[in-house]
Amino acid sequence: MSTGMSWIVRLATPILSVLLLWYLAIWFSGLPAFVIPRPERVLEVLWVDRAFIFEHLLATLQVAAIGFLWANVAGIGMAVLFDLLPPTRHMLMPAAITLRNVPYIALISVLMLAFGDSLLSKTTIVALAGFFPVLVNTMQGLRAADEVQLDRMRILNASWWQTFSQVRLPYAIPAIVSAQEITGSGSIIVAIAAEWMISSTGLGYVINNAMQNYRGDKVYAVALLATALSFLIYSFVHWLGRRLDWRAGDPRR
Amino acid sequence: MASPISIRGVSRRFGETWALQQVDLEIAAGEFIALVGPSGCGKTTLLRIVADLVEPSTGEVRIGDDTAAQARRKRLLGLVSQRPAVLPWKRAIDDVRFTQKIAGKVGFDPATVLREFGLEGHENKRARQLSGGMLQRVNIASAMAHDPSVLLMDEPFAALDEMKREEIGEWFDRELALRPKTVLFVTHHIDEAVMLADRLLVFSPAPGRVLEVVSVPVPRPREPSFRQDPRFVAIAGHVRGLLMQRTPQAA
Repeated sequence: MSTGMSWIVRLATPILSVLLLWYLAIWFSGLPAFVIPRPERVLEVLWVDRAFIFEHLLATLQVAAIGFLWANVAGIGMAVLFDLLPPTRHMLMPAAITLRNVPYIALISVLMLAFGDSLLSKTTIVALAGFFPVLVNTMQGLRAADEVQLDRMRILNASWWQTFSQVRLPYAIPAIVSAQEITGSGSIIVAIAAEWMISSTGLGYVINNAMQNYRGDKVYAVALLATALSFLIYSFVHWLGRRLDWRAGDPRR
Repeated sequence: MASPISIRGVSRRFGETWALQQVDLEIAAGEFIALVGPSGCGKTTLLRIVADLVEPSTGEVRIGDDTAAQARRKRLLGLVSQRPAVLPWKRAIDDVRFTQKIAGKVGFDPATVLREFGLEGHENKRARQLSGGMLQRVNIASAMAHDPSVLLMDEPFAALDEMKREEIGEWFDRELALRPKTVLFVTHHIDEAVMLADRLLVFSPAPGRVLEVVSVPVPRPREPSFRQDPRFVAIAGHVRGLLMQRTPQAA
């Protein structure tokens, strides 16, 4: 009962505070309704246009999910490769860092030229934006195993795979999970940004379209939806991480 | 099962510094050798050379008829560190089984050995649920689970308080009587070394060199009352004298 209550409070407090700030902004800024619509108007748009928005929501989710998957395949895959064959790290890490620092706008433009408005160009952007935190965290996590555990595996003449799968990967899980919290929710945001620039589908496109028609209420509706979605993914990953983390429930933590 | 160890002309250099110089020692099967000396005297380096975790710069180690590397590949070695290597997500009994799985050798029944180690009723606990002394027992059980012929122990009881340390030492002495192993045991603690070992290798500080090999000519396992025995007092005093004289700054 008490945990149920605390959940309601924890959920209601941020919602109420956001609503309060929202109304204050409407009253004191004096901006017109198409720039800052009332919350109830935004909910109304969400409801009235639900079929249209849902269709584009699915498109965005598809881009985000595929991109997220690739970010993990690339990020975890590269970290494992670097571990297995250390020279590859010197070969590929500079490229990964460089790619990380190229402005996404430029990357999107190049991908647009190469692949046009396609699933490939959008998922590539999401994957590029997401893989770096996964790579860096996985690399760090794979170094987290205690030296005495590694000595134990060496004295038992364990194979690389045994040491990796039984000791180093479990030790890396907490770090890999925290990367998912960044990459998972970030995937939605990056997918929308990519759609905003190049696409005729997805929530990003809906925002772009609404902007051109001076439909601020619709922009807010999509923004609200995307925020909720991103938050939901973050919470889910966080929850999943707690279940996977062998440290969970450790009172000394 | 226990193997003799032969250490011949073993030295180790790290960069310009000699960590260990010219150690020669013949160890009989089942013998308990304590390595004592100040920090940085190379005793851990010698242990790690026997473990094939560090390469000697000169000389060689033979374990039975094998080189250290061959012995490690045959899973003849067990390693006990000061910090337990028990995997935090495994239950005690599963950690013991884990050693057997990796080594591909079932030395003995995990439940039986945990009971022998005084861990009955704690088999299903994880590392964080065990006290320091119990965790170190699980660590030793896991290190011995594949029945190695040589046990290499690097200050295994150093993190325990005095009472626990003596208690676990007495228990370990009796355990070795049941399951004989050749033991190399690194410690700072002179009384512990005299209590447990057949011979003590007393090291001088860097460059690590063996000052003297001191015998404790009393059969094992030894009664706790051995601490009050004049022979114990004399040997411990002699070793203390050797170390003090060579390391005035540590006194």
